[in-house]
Amino acid sequence: MTHILREMWLLGRSRSAIWALLLLAVCASASVALGLASVARDRAVIDRMLAGQVAEEAALAAFVEDAGSGAYYGFQPTWDPPSDLAFAALGSRDIAPAVLRVRALALEGQIYENESSNPELALPGRFDLAFVAVYVAPLVLIALLHDLWSGEREAGRYHALAALPRARRRLWTSRVAVRLAGVLVALLLPFGIGALMAGTAPLRALGFAGLITLVCLLWTAIVLVVARLGVRSAVNAASLAAVWFALTLVAPAGVNLAINAGVPVPDGAALARENREYVHAGWDRPRDRTMRDFLKVYPQHEAGSAIPPTFHWKWYFAFQHLGDLHVAEQSQAYRDGIARRAEMGRIAGWVLPPAGLAQAMSAMAGTDVTAQLDYQMRIRAYHQRLREFYYDYLFSEKPFGPQELARVPRFDPAIGG
Amino acid sequence: MSQVFTIAGAELRLMLRSRLAIVGVATLLLLSAIAAVTSATQMAAAAKMRAEAQIATDQQFKSQPDRHPHRMVHYGTYALRPVGPLAAFDPGVDAFTGTVVFLEGHRQNSATFGAARESSDLVRFGQLTPAFVLQTLAPLLLVFLGFASVARERERGSLRALAAHGATAWAILSGKALALCAAAALAMAPAFAALGWAAIQQPAEAGIALLTALSYSGYLLIWVLVITAVSALAASAQGALVTLIAIWAVVVVLVPRAAAAWAGVAEPLPSRVDTEFAIAADLRRIGDSHNPNDPHFAEFKAKLLQKYGVGKVEDLPFNYRGVLAQEGERLTSQLFKDYAARAGAIQLAQSDRLTALGLISPALAVRRASMVGAATDLRTHLAFLETAEAYRYNMVQKLNALQATAVSGADDSARSKDPIAERRTRISADFWKEVPDFRFDAPTASRRAAGMIPSLAVLALWIALALALMMIASRRLERNGA
Repeated sequence: MTHILREMWLLGRSRSAIWALLLLAVCASASVALGLASVARDRAVIDRMLAGQVAEEAALAAFVEDAGSGAYYGFQPTWDPPSDLAFAALGSRDIAPAVLRVRALALEGQIYENESSNPELALPGRFDLAFVAVYVAPLVLIALLHDLWSGEREAGRYHALAALPRARRRLWTSRVAVRLAGVLVALLLPFGIGALMAGTAPLRALGFAGLITLVCLLWTAIVLVVARLGVRSAVNAASLAAVWFALTLVAPAGVNLAINAGVPVPDGAALARENREYVHAGWDRPRDRTMRDFLKVYPQHEAGSAIPPTFHWKWYFAFQHLGDLHVAEQSQAYRDGIARRAEMGRIAGWVLPPAGLAQAMSAMAGTDVTAQLDYQMRIRAYHQRLREFYYDYLFSEKPFGPQELARVPRFDPAIGG
Repeated sequence: MSQVFTIAGAELRLMLRSRLAIVGVATLLLLSAIAAVTSATQMAAAAKMRAEAQIATDQQFKSQPDRHPHRMVHYGTYALRPVGPLAAFDPGVDAFTGTVVFLEGHRQNSATFGAARESSDLVRFGQLTPAFVLQTLAPLLLVFLGFASVARERERGSLRALAAHGATAWAILSGKALALCAAAALAMAPAFAALGWAAIQQPAEAGIALLTALSYSGYLLIWVLVITAVSALAASAQGALVTLIAIWAVVVVLVPRAAAAWAGVAEPLPSRVDTEFAIAADLRRIGDSHNPNDPHFAEFKAKLLQKYGVGKVEDLPFNYRGVLAQEGERLTSQLFKDYAARAGAIQLAQSDRLTALGLISPALAVRRASMVGAATDLRTHLAFLETAEAYRYNMVQKLNALQATAVSGADDSARSKDPIAERRTRISADFWKEVPDFRFDAPTASRRAAGMIPSLAVLALWIALALALMMIASRRLERNGA
């Protein structure tokens, strides 16, 4: 215990060490505060949408005359609520929309819409706790530990210290433990406060704290290996900075280039255009062919499928859906391509542990690419439920008015459909 | 002066003998070359794909069959944002914005399909591009090459020997800085070659390319001066290195991210749904075409009837539905324009905060100058959205005018019940050929050059500050008897 207290006293006397730890603590606190603010903003966007939806539906109720006009004009909200850990690892929530309103028309023309946001703010990446833990904390560990042995050697004290009985345990171990603990406190204290404010489930918070600890342990190990092998403090610091630089910046950027080149993603714009072509050609395609194709998918609506020679909503919504089916394979390939890239990124994470741990953080927080694709699948499931609700009215020609409008299925963020 | 060159020469010879320095420079040159080549191929592929898609979508529009003009309003078309002229050097925000906008009647869609949403979770910071190499990697290499330049001499006691040979502190520092400048010039070479290559292919961009090269040279000069000064001021080489890495981390990594997060919180931007709801509420207030008793449209109709001296819309000399559609589109488009202008102003205010924070981090200033020059910045994207919206409005109104003049009002009102009348409302496919193709030109070179001025001014200020720091270091060195 006295060794620990002595090392704490020594750490307290080093101005540069205190500055480094303070900077880390400030960064961690700021990142938690900004993360909480960003999550609160997402929640507020969702709440405003759900509140505003009431007025939209009241306006629609005033002129809705049949199921077709309800389906055509009735946009329904879907949303992707931030998880209780999102504040610590914002992932790609800044570039993927948190809310999307859809209607029963062809979904491929709706699902890729983007949130309005300033791309110059997305460009440098998010300032969240995951960033502070993966990018900044290692640099502080390098600053605190790179001259563990060489520093004493350069001060001429090394041999005297090493000759002390049980030097390893009394001196070096407690010194490393105290400095590592300082870094962990600077990161985990703000995280703990943030988790309390966000109401994070204790086990999940513990898991995330475990990932942060793992990052710090990993870098402590790397620093100690280099510090042990190296002779001069300046050379140690330079080598460690180079290792950090290669592992966190250069290698992930290079691997990302390779993944994007190696795993092609079909052109999304071409997919959207193809969907529009098929949908709009529906106006000129023989009507019975449209209805026949549609009934292959929805045979249960056979009985009510007769259409007049003029416009009818059931025909209109039939060719809308056929437009989606026409590009279903392309759409699947587009999603698969992105999922495959994410998968390759995760595999690369095993070779590049800092990148791997950063991805594990956003995966645990439900803010990674996989989570964005999941949200899209929930939108698809909901869209199907919404369409089928209207098909029932359209094909049975049951009356549809404001009362039925209130029975439209609602999106459930947990399951979508 | 010759002393300065002698000292610089000695320092360079030392660098050439250091394995660490050679490996560092070689790595940077390699990365820089990879970045230049991959970025050029990627952007060329993107440029080709978007240009071809624009031609294809314009062709598709023109080759639609005979139709009711309102069908074409909903068929719509696409606007693709062309790749900026120097995007291969600095793709800027290209990956972070959608690149395609669907243009149709009644609605304003967002730009969709950007590269960032199609990538793995691996990197958000640092696509490997020539601009990234110069902004982020090159300064760190210079830190490695230069941190010990003066500190080493002091630790070995050779500063006194230099002073004994009559070298002033300023000459020593200038010589060291000059040697580091030479290394910086070498480090910049592949990226500048990429810039030069782009300028050769597009001679109109030569001036901008030169200005961009100038801003990066200024940026790296700041680093050279600061590194030399810190090396002279620090108590030891180790202290100099740790300080410089800390400065690098704060200036290049920390501040740009924190600044972006802060700007987003300080200037909140309404969401797309917020805007859609606000526009819908405004429309219900000023003119709701769904409401048969809407005062705005009732007045519009009354005025029209009065102007033509007729009692009912069927007697008007044109198809009232087309004119009604025009009036509806006029109202919604005005709102789209107003709200887009408001959102654009907020985004520009956010970006202005980043420019102001260039006073803390020259990395922000050089990034800004580079993106503005390459026409891959926010302002260019907003200009693209504005051009697309103007095009959308003109296309829709042209089609609405066709509905008013080329489709008979009687057929138009009977078309949902009478298939024969419906057939007659389909007008000739030749009309679609009159709609012009979409075209967006990046801001002119002179406008972009003007846009670079604030960032260049910030960089100039930083050079002055760095020079002052070096003077302080020189004076300290002189006083402490080297």
